Amino acid sequence: MNVIFLTLSAVTVLGAVLAVTLRNLVHCLLALVLFFLGIAGNFFLMRADFLGAVQILIYIGAVAVLILFAIMLTRNISGTEGGRGPLGGAWWLGVGIAGTLAGAVCVFVRRSDLVTKFPYGATEEGVVKEIGKLLVSDWVVPLEIMAVLLTAALIGAVVIALEERK
Amino acid sequence: MSVPLGYYLVLGAVLFAIGLCGALTRKNAIAVLMSIEIMFNAAILNFVVFWYYLHNGALTGQVFALFAIAVAAAESAVGLALVIAVYRHYRSVNVDEMRTLKG
Repeated sequence: MNVIFLTLSAVTVLGAVLAVTLRNLVHCLLALVLFFLGIAGNFFLMRADFLGAVQILIYIGAVAVLILFAIMLTRNISGTEGGRGPLGGAWWLGVGIAGTLAGAVCVFVRRSDLVTKFPYGATEEGVVKEIGKLLVSDWVVPLEIMAVLLTAALIGAVVIALEERK
Repeated sequence: MSVPLGYYLVLGAVLFAIGLCGALTRKNAIAVLMSIEIMFNAAILNFVVFWYYLHNGALTGQVFALFAIAVAAAESAVGLALVIAVYRHYRSVNVDEMRTLKG
């Protein structure tokens, strides 16, 4: 049993649990950053260093800051004022559904013959270079579609969030 | 040194379940979006895990995870813009108060 894997998993799960249970949204966001860091650590552990760096840059650098701006722009930080959740305040129902899902997945994981598989082996040096070459040769059409999607998302976000003119 | 594939799959399932639980029980729309980010990350973790354990020297799995991260980033930008637009309209981000379409 790998100690690094256990530590990283514990940190990741702790961050996720705190992010969905804390009442103050800014504290939730800090826990979410811890969760993102744990995921990035797992990427590094799996020798996907480029993805780990991308994870830190995009999620902690961009998405977390974006969420922080949204929290500050909407002012309702505590999240406790009035009203109930989508399930009518029945938090145990949500926990039950999620627990059932996790249990079902674990049962299927146990039955699978992939479970005991071990890594294929370390990749060679220069993975970033190879990914770059793949992106502009085999995957150039998806890359361009992604560029269009990101442009559309940028323009769409600006249009949606723009103040309505009376 | 390394752990078997099953441990990572269970970790992914647990993280996804935590995110689902948050998306079902939180009432603040931004908290719901954070829970969706947790689910996204659990899925991306699974992509990378399957790449790491089953790749035959190919990097396609990493490229796919990269695309998934880009889509998730676009989703969160548009989602947060929607939350801000809803807040302008209703002066609230509680999801149970957005029920104009309820019959």
